[in-house]
Amino acid sequence: MKKKLAILLSAAMGLSVMGGCGNSAAQSVPEDGKVEHIRLMVWAPSGDQSKDSGEWLQKCCEAFDEAHPEYDIDFVYGVADEATAAGTVAQDPDASADVFMYANDNLSVLTDAKAIAKIGGIYEEEVMSTNSETVTDSVRSDGYLYGVPFTTNTWFMYYDKSVFSDDDVKNLDTMLEKGVVSFPFTNSWYLPSFYIGNGCTLFEDGTVEEAGVDFTGEKAYEVTDYLIDLIDNPNFVVDADGSGMAGLRDGSINAIFTGSWDAASIKEILGDNMGVVSLPTYTLNGEEKQMMAYAGSKAIGVNSTSDHMVASIQLAIYLGSAEAQQLHYELRNVVPCNTELLQDPGIASDMLVTAQNDTFDNTSILQPFVSAMSNCWTPVENMGKGIRNESVTHDNSREQTDGMNEAMNSNGI
Amino acid sequence: MAANTQRSAKKTRFINNVIVHGVLAVLAFVWVFPIAWVVLTSFRAEKGSYVSTFLPQGYTLDNYARLFTDTTILNFPKMFGNTLFIAICSCILSTFYVLAVSYCLSRLRFKMRKPYMNMAMILGLFPGFMSMVAVYFILKALGLSEGGLIRLALILCYSGGAGLGFQIAKGFFDTIPLAIDEAALIDGCTRWQIFTKMTLPLSKPVIVYTVLTSFIGPWVDFIFAKVICRANADYYTVAIGLWKMLEKEYIDSWYTCFAAGAVLISIPIAILFMFLQRYYVDGMSGAVKG
Repeated sequence: MKKKLAILLSAAMGLSVMGGCGNSAAQSVPEDGKVEHIRLMVWAPSGDQSKDSGEWLQKCCEAFDEAHPEYDIDFVYGVADEATAAGTVAQDPDASADVFMYANDNLSVLTDAKAIAKIGGIYEEEVMSTNSETVTDSVRSDGYLYGVPFTTNTWFMYYDKSVFSDDDVKNLDTMLEKGVVSFPFTNSWYLPSFYIGNGCTLFEDGTVEEAGVDFTGEKAYEVTDYLIDLIDNPNFVVDADGSGMAGLRDGSINAIFTGSWDAASIKEILGDNMGVVSLPTYTLNGEEKQMMAYAGSKAIGVNSTSDHMVASIQLAIYLGSAEAQQLHYELRNVVPCNTELLQDPGIASDMLVTAQNDTFDNTSILQPFVSAMSNCWTPVENMGKGIRNESVTHDNSREQTDGMNEAMNSNGI
Repeated sequence: MAANTQRSAKKTRFINNVIVHGVLAVLAFVWVFPIAWVVLTSFRAEKGSYVSTFLPQGYTLDNYARLFTDTTILNFPKMFGNTLFIAICSCILSTFYVLAVSYCLSRLRFKMRKPYMNMAMILGLFPGFMSMVAVYFILKALGLSEGGLIRLALILCYSGGAGLGFQIAKGFFDTIPLAIDEAALIDGCTRWQIFTKMTLPLSKPVIVYTVLTSFIGPWVDFIFAKVICRANADYYTVAIGLWKMLEKEYIDSWYTCFAAGAVLISIPIAILFMFLQRYYVDGMSGAVKG
């Protein structure tokens, strides 16, 4: 009896080994006509999947399936926007999508959870050849590439062309003489642009965690003093909780700072008078200083626990390809970052695309995604609030700036 | 002299009334103000999340219409249906659990009675979402974290712990005289019959109270729904949907719809309360009186 069982068992093992061979053969030699039946879960924001905005995700996935006869793919779509997907995937990689979209500032969440696959070899070359180095650097950590970037993510300036001329929008102080400008003063994604513009640095070039934050010294004090004067300017309005957009709507505000997500609403309000441009300079003690935004990217990532790694990476590459980016732009106004696509005259002439890419290339720094960056948000926000509430004044601006710098360099515990 | 005293007493009472009503009016204003604002916002014609005037400049029903017609990005009717289904199922289950546990603890005597009550007391001191991550992984191991079974998973989450919240119902049952049970026993009733035929008909107020609390729990819950639904948009509940409307991509165009949604989800609770409120206070006091 035992013998029989042993024979049966070894036969079963042999079969399963052969089965394994068969599978891998199908994967590597698709010319046999063998088709691999797989199930891929893909997560994207709901706008990418809705009928009203053209079902970008479904169209791209089906096109991918057709282009790859070696796979017979069942797609399972889920809804997770770029800002929250990383958290959801890191929470339980096993039960998450094979392919998902994430904002690059969450990369450390994914790498800490070992939830995201590295992209290497020919696939890395393909990504590198179609994107600028700054863009690919935004999804690189410890030298490895962790995703396929499909758009840049930053903020810039929208203004009313009937109020400001093309020359006015080059300098914030000139603008303040002609019209009302609103800026998210108490939001720490926006406020550091003044400090960075005057030479303050975060983690040296953004990657050296030990170097810490340098928001102190004369260069920072000057900016704090400038900001205190700025808030006293009657033509300057703090933008909080959507008040900037409301002011634009009722005409009391002529320029606001926000990103591509508000483009459609602003177009509706200003119509042909809508102007979009990269960040202006500001005049500090007679010198022009360039405001510098935080910039990042949105990328397509592959789950490290995916059962169909090759297919998933190929799909990620396809979703980030020129073809898919073009469709994304046409259907949802997602600004492309593919270098060839940006040469396309139709896309290059779009104000929004130009403004976003100019900002990314010239008036921004790559938002650091080292872990210590998480200590940098609240202190800056508090500085903005302090200046607004007039608890930070010219008399105590030095101590307050040093306090902010100290808080940004400590982990707060 | 007597007339004088009378007049001054009247005067004092008048002044007291003015003060009391003044204070109450201020309090009522403070309480109703935010609700009135949400209702006004839900009818607001101007878009956007921020307005510079308190009263809307124009009124419209479009926000409500949009909630039910513009379903491609945020499918509100479906979320509403999901939530209603989950809330009703968990309400029925938890009401049964609570009443059954309370009856046992009030009427039966068994070894684990005291230890169970102590344990429930201590467990009740911890916030429920502390176990959230563990609950998620248990549900995943059971295969309940994907597809249509998500609804079942949520129902289990909301009703599973109900047996620990027996205190108020047990207190109520304790006030029903034991003599009634004994009389029923002598007449040949089983425990189950006593529960269904004697105790429950005498306990309408506390049943109403239990139904209300166990309906509202799942109806307004956000955190468990968020953890368990993850990216499965088909099974989102209203709470997640409303939260989504406030994300930076949607807030400008969906804010007034968000207010409309908030008004809509308060309607079922408001109706329940209006019909059942007279029982609500009785439920807290006791059963057989005089």
